[in-house]
Amino acid sequence: MAYELPPTAKMKLSEIKELQSKLLRALIRRVYEKVPFYHKKLKEVGLTPDDVKSVEDLQKKKFFTVKDDLRANYPLGLLAVSQREVVRIHASSGTTGLPTIMAYTQGDIERWAELNARCLAVAGASQEDVVQVAYGYGLFTGGLGLHYGAEKLGAKVIPASVGNTKRQIKLMKDLKATVLCCTPSYALYIAEVAREEGVDPGRDLNLNLGIFGAEPWSEGTRKRIEEELDLRAHDIYGMSELYGPGVAIECVERNGLHVWCDHFIVEVIDPKTGEALEPGEEGELVFTTLTKEALPLIRYRSRDISILEEEPCSCGLEHPRIMRIRGRTDDMIKVRGVAVFPSQVEEVLSRIDGLAGHYQIIVDRDGPLDKLKVRVEVASSYVSDKLSDLMKLQQKVEEELREALAVRAEVELVEPKGLPRSEGKAQRVIDLRKV
Amino acid sequence: MRGLVKQISVFLENKPGRLAELMKVLEGSKIKVKAMGIAETGSYGVIRMVVDRHEEALKTLREANMAANEASVLAISLEDGLYKASKALGEAGVNIEYAYTALNAVIVKVDDEARARKALEQAGVKVLEHI
Repeated sequence: MAYELPPTAKMKLSEIKELQSKLLRALIRRVYEKVPFYHKKLKEVGLTPDDVKSVEDLQKKKFFTVKDDLRANYPLGLLAVSQREVVRIHASSGTTGLPTIMAYTQGDIERWAELNARCLAVAGASQEDVVQVAYGYGLFTGGLGLHYGAEKLGAKVIPASVGNTKRQIKLMKDLKATVLCCTPSYALYIAEVAREEGVDPGRDLNLNLGIFGAEPWSEGTRKRIEEELDLRAHDIYGMSELYGPGVAIECVERNGLHVWCDHFIVEVIDPKTGEALEPGEEGELVFTTLTKEALPLIRYRSRDISILEEEPCSCGLEHPRIMRIRGRTDDMIKVRGVAVFPSQVEEVLSRIDGLAGHYQIIVDRDGPLDKLKVRVEVASSYVSDKLSDLMKLQQKVEEELREALAVRAEVELVEPKGLPRSEGKAQRVIDLRKV
Repeated sequence: MRGLVKQISVFLENKPGRLAELMKVLEGSKIKVKAMGIAETGSYGVIRMVVDRHEEALKTLREANMAANEASVLAISLEDGLYKASKALGEAGVNIEYAYTALNAVIVKVDDEARARKALEQAGVKVLEHI
């Protein structure tokens, strides 16, 4: 049977907001009773479940949940159900400390699958598709999230996971995969290995849609992936704290990502003051999970920087959109007092010809001053026999970076494949100041 | 085109072992280097070479993911010295963009090939078809 969007996915904005208030009131009541952490936290700000009619009541109190709250309650201190109702565990990478443990009930797993199925459907996939999932499978939510979503859609799934890229390409070719799901940096790597293997994506592969996420990427990278893999690339958003992937997706218009607001309340705040911002203003995204049973989160600070857009979208969906993620508050590098995001560097590099799109940012100290160095890979297709052309290229990158970042960066040209490749999330920044 | 030798140039980082890596790739396909020059600035440079089988060299290097490309150059015989040749090019208003030597010739990249060939021919300078 063909998959159909559920009625709540097709609601008018006013209906969505009504549903959100209803779900929020029930949620607050539930966590007040079931989660000691939230019970205490609500009491501390002087709120009882009866006081919370809408998210504004929480905004006034600057009521937030942050990653450290999850760490402090490691591993499962925030459960809102009994342990026996939990059927699945996932965990975030935990590069900066304890991993963050996420728990799911059977109902959570089903809702999560439905969210991913509708993301795929809204991006243009159907049960006719062969979906190759090249996100990591395991504790990371990317692989299993899209996997269950594609199955729910009724598509054929190739659970390729990450790695073994040559085999990945062979499967893609032989099984005629039409949809590829992975990180944008892995998509670029797949394109590179395909070329080395003599596989021409336009001629030898059947891909027509890519669902890429789990790291910030730019319009230039989109263009490059689309050219190199001959497909239409859509951005998908999510994080393990919010089920995983499937929180938001670019529709056919590809002008922002629709957040499924029948499952989440999304807000934008000023990351410094915690004040709620208006639609159209840039700030940190904050999410409340309305339907998660096992581990609901109230006003969770995502640390992702974006803009919220509530204007209707021409695709017909009225779920508000977030604009492409500009970076993370914790990806932000302060160089001589100026905030620099890797995504800004990526955006600049992606519009200059002769570069491969891979880069590394190195921050170091030169005496009392911060020094920013960007190592960029020259494309293997780069054509010139003149040293002066390379110097011009280097200069051009330096000038454009300076313009975009408002801080000077030294540029180092690196040979094709000279930078380390990643199969999951790319390690773009090396900060030597901390050592 | 008669009188034109093909050159392969490769972008390499300026650090130990990179030239060896390049030569290993060529050696693997039994390609012989007949002339070579390096232009470098700081952390990177361009290696320019004339090899015995340039098409294969280009293919092999690109397969090895090296930023390699080809260009036409002139191989001016060293038999008669270089004064006659450089004078002819200078008088014809041809600029030499870069040059390096082989055993029997100087490899020259000019900004106007057709004009350079004509000037050299008129001055009776020997331009080699291969080295």
